[in-house]
Amino acid sequence: MNASIKRSAFRPVWLVLALLFLLAGCEKIDNPFIKKGGFKDARSIMIEFAGAPDASWVSDPANFKVFQKNNPDVLLPVKQVDVGPDKKTVFLKFGEDLDLKLAHTVSMASIPSEGKDMGASFLDVKKSYFGYLFSILIGAMLINNYVFTKYLGLCVFIGTSRKKSTAVGMGVTFTIVIVISAMISWFLYQFVLKPYRLDFLQVVTFIGLVSLTVQAVDTILRKVNPALFKAFGVYLVLVIANCVIIAVPLTLASAEYNAAESFMLALGAGGGFLLALFLMASSRERLELANVPPTYRGLPIAFVATGLFALAFMGFSGMAIF
Amino acid sequence: MDPVLIKLAIGGIAFLGCIGLLFGIGLALAAQKFAVEGDPKVEEVLEVLAGAQ
Repeated sequence: MNASIKRSAFRPVWLVLALLFLLAGCEKIDNPFIKKGGFKDARSIMIEFAGAPDASWVSDPANFKVFQKNNPDVLLPVKQVDVGPDKKTVFLKFGEDLDLKLAHTVSMASIPSEGKDMGASFLDVKKSYFGYLFSILIGAMLINNYVFTKYLGLCVFIGTSRKKSTAVGMGVTFTIVIVISAMISWFLYQFVLKPYRLDFLQVVTFIGLVSLTVQAVDTILRKVNPALFKAFGVYLVLVIANCVIIAVPLTLASAEYNAAESFMLALGAGGGFLLALFLMASSRERLELANVPPTYRGLPIAFVATGLFALAFMGFSGMAIF
Repeated sequence: MDPVLIKLAIGGIAFLGCIGLLFGIGLALAAQKFAVEGDPKVEEVLEVLAGAQ
């Protein structure tokens, strides 16, 4: 009975988090007459209206002023305007490729529809925010894996990848710690360090934060889940000595990510580390049984295997998702 | 010295002192709340042992 009450008290927290996440992904459109806008391909933008705008207005490219949102002085010339079969969907065609990474604004002055003026609109067109978040996650996990392409956290990586069970334990602890400390460090950087121009203190602050998180997880886990605490053993303290955990807050600070993006990057970095540890532990367990030449036994063959993994992960480099 | 730099230095010291104090208090409270009573015999035995390693 007591346990069920406790569990239900946690539920609103998750609901609020999920809601915040959804809100962060929502786009606001300033004119209710416009349903949605988006990139169709590299050279065209699609706008869907709630009703059919006048054909004479729509067919004139001069009625649509398109520019990059952060660069409003340079208008991108619209070559041609096509209307879809339902007369509500409009495709703006451009002569040159658009930079799909940037948000674009379509400015329309007074949209006429069936004799009425539906008002002006600045429509922001950008790629799906969830897709962008997902690409940060996958990017940190595979394409820019912190172990295999940035060569960070190698001491812990070599030290704890001898057995699969310890590797997974270390990876999970690491992911928890990195997500918590990255979120706090994002908050501190955005709301304290940057406004007061103390960003030269970021390394000291982030190291303090990491040790705080590790110590807190250590204290709480010892009481709440002694079995898991025993399983983690010394690795929990080893997390402090990992350089990925300090690289992620520094990346967040220099890339000016927002909360959701920071969360995704931290999750990706943790997941990538877990993946790297698991892969390495699996291959090292096999290597124990293999007939390795005496000079290569133990650490040297592990280094060779790490190099091969790094080469394999190079195959992901330069990939773009969404 | 430039007063801006002095301000920055004082701000930095104040900030680091504040977060140090906050973290310390937080950890102390957490340690109190999640205190695990260990077996006192373990300490006694450890005390009696040679303890070179």
